[in-house]
Formats: sequence, C-alpha cells, structure tokens
Amino acid sequence: MKLLKFELLKLRKKSRGWLGPILVFVLIMTAFPLTVEILNKDIDQSFFSVLWIATLLVMMLATEDIFLEDFNDGTLEQMAIKHNSLSGVITIKIFVYWLLIGLPISLLGALYGFGITSSADLAIQLIPILMITTYIFLNVFSFGNALSLTKGSILGILITMPLVLPLLVVLGKVVIAINLGMNFLGFLFLLLGILSIIILVLPIIISFVIKAHLE
Amino acid sequence: MKKILVAENLSYKINDTKLFQNLSFSLNEGAAIHILGSNGSGKTSLLKIISGLTKQTKGKIEKNYNKDICFIGHKNALKQYLTVEDNLSLLEIEAHGNLKSFLQLLGLEKLLDVMVANLSYGQQKKLALLRLFLNDSDLLVLDEPCVGLDKKSQDILCTFLSDQLIAKKALIFSSHISLDISAEVLQLDKA
Repeated sequence: MKLLKFELLKLRKKSRGWLGPILVFVLIMTAFPLTVEILNKDIDQSFFSVLWIATLLVMMLATEDIFLEDFNDGTLEQMAIKHNSLSGVITIKIFVYWLLIGLPISLLGALYGFGITSSADLAIQLIPILMITTYIFLNVFSFGNALSLTKGSILGILITMPLVLPLLVVLGKVVIAINLGMNFLGFLFLLLGILSIIILVLPIIISFVIKAHLE
Repeated sequence: MKKILVAENLSYKINDTKLFQNLSFSLNEGAAIHILGSNGSGKTSLLKIISGLTKQTKGKIEKNYNKDICFIGHKNALKQYLTVEDNLSLLEIEAHGNLKSFLQLLGLEKLLDVMVANLSYGQQKKLALLRLFLNDSDLLVLDEPCVGLDKKSQDILCTFLSDQLIAKKALIFSSHISLDISAEVLQLDKA
C-alpha cells in the first residue's frame, strides 16, 4: 500500500506525465469529427478506428518515461535493493499509470462514443473494452520501454508494435459484433484472458530486463 | 566477532576488460573497509556487487546480516519536481524520530517546502544522505559519499559513521576525499 501511495504521489505531482496524454487523446477525439462531414452516416464506423488508434498512440506516449526517470535518478537502484520483488513494484507502477491515465481515457472514450453515436448502450459497452485495452497497451509498451531504457523509446515501440497488432484485430472484431448487435461478451472474455496472462508474465520479464540495465 | 561479509576470489570484467581479479576480503561488524583505486578500477562495480545490483564474473560473496543494505550511490534517488517534504515521504523517513534533529544539523529544516530542483547540488546530496543517517541497516555501502559536501557536512558524516561503527554496524565505502574513520584499506589497482 505504501508503494502504491508513493507511485500515486509521484505521477500525480508530475502533471505532464498524466495530463499530457489525456489532453492529446481529447485533442484527437475532438479534432476527428471536425475533419469529416458531420452529417456523414458512416461517421460512427470510422469513429471506432480513430478511437483505437488514439488509445494506442496515447498509451505509447504515456509510457515513454515510465522507467526512464526512476532509472536516471537512481530510484530503480534503490527499489531493486530494497524490494525483493521488483516485478511487484513494476505491477504497481503500471497500475498507477492505468489509474491516472488509462481509466480516464476509457471513460472519455465512452463519452465520445456516446457523443458520436448517441447510443448509451454502446457507450456502456465501450467502458470495459477500453479499460482492458488500455491496461494491455500500458503493459506491452512498458515492456518496450524497459527493453530500450538506455537507447531511446523509439526502439522499444518498434519491438513491441507487432505484439499489439493482433489486439487491434480483436478490437476490430468487437466493433463488428457491436454494430451487428451480436453478443460481444466472448471478445470481452478473450481480452480479459489476454490481460490476465500479460499481468502475470510481463512484470516478471520487465523486472529481469531492468535488472540487466542496472548491471 | 560476527562476519557481516566474506568475499572469496571475486573477479569482475566488463566486456573483455578485467576490472579486478581474485579479490578476497572480509568485513566484521563494527569494522570499515575503504576501497581505493584510480578511475575505472572497479570501485563502484564492487560496491554494486556487494549491494546485489551486479553479479560478479567469478567468485562468491557471503552475506550475513538481517536487515536491508543501505546503499548510497552516485545517484541521489530524489525527485526533482517534488518538494523536500515529499521526497522525505518517498524515502520513507518522514516519520523518523531523529528526522528533525538531522534536518537542523544539515541546515535543511527551512527548506521543506522547496522543490528539490531549486536546491544546490550539495543540499541535494545532504537530503540523499538523510537516508543513511536515518537507516536501520547492518551494512552501509557508500559510493563517494563526500562529493558535493562542505567541510561541516563531511565532519557530520564522519562523526555519524564512527558512531555507527561503535554501534556494531559494518561499513564499506569508496572515497577520494579522505575521511577521518578507522578503516582497513582495500586497494583495487593492486588486486
């Protein structure tokens, strides 16, 4: 609980870290309807594509210095010495990022969904999908950033991008299911399954990568 | 006398550069080791091996202490965008009984609301050293602890470390600035 409190304090006080990605998301989602014909009946079709891509980009942006700052100022060194489970520290860190960035974006995404489609049902369905998706993206991009900790974040993004592409395919199927009024719960459970594996496995891998960097 | 640390035939190399080879030493409770050596001789690497941050290439190291190591490295582990008070909370020493007296001793008591980014390097170093002053570890591992400190703060540090040795704690440190502490010298260039 102490660690959770500390990580929350750190991210909360660094407004650039959490407010920046949220503002970029708002900017993209607000700019999108302005750039297309507002009366276009197909606007809600392309809305989902923009929503997933905006979420992907913003999560990428949010994790840009998730470990870099702690690595540069020596905090990671202290954490590695003090805490037996560095993977636990990483899990908490990613959770805090999700809490302050992923969760607001999920709610905002649903709000924009309601604004574009005027469907409250769709907006409600979007919330759990976005909550799970943002958490998966945060974990995957954190892994990429850990890999390229001392080499700039671009390399990490290039390495992890193939990992998120299958997820985008699943999200595309979710949209089709929602639009056709089909049951999308199967996809939701699929996303939950992916998330469960990622939550268990990636923090452990990230902790090994970070330890290698600390050496 | 309890042995806190026993190193046998430690070797370490980075890529193909051998930093030290077959280094053996032991550290008893209440004793100190001062690691000396030129730049790049492996002082920081040895301290990181002792702290568990780095693995030695060869040899073994036995550790015999109950609590966490207190490691003060080159990096201060301070958040520049937070106030001194917030950083004390991150260092988990905000509620320590002796905090106020050490803050006064180091001249930091009136800087609690100041952002760390606005402190001088020396003041930041003193803030980082509070983690050492308020620690509860059996083994203190310090990498150049005097860098950036004024003479008064260096004296405070020496007095504190001497007191820790009397309290049966073990100390291993590297420093190019001479410290008035009774310590065995470990010369890395000759290792």
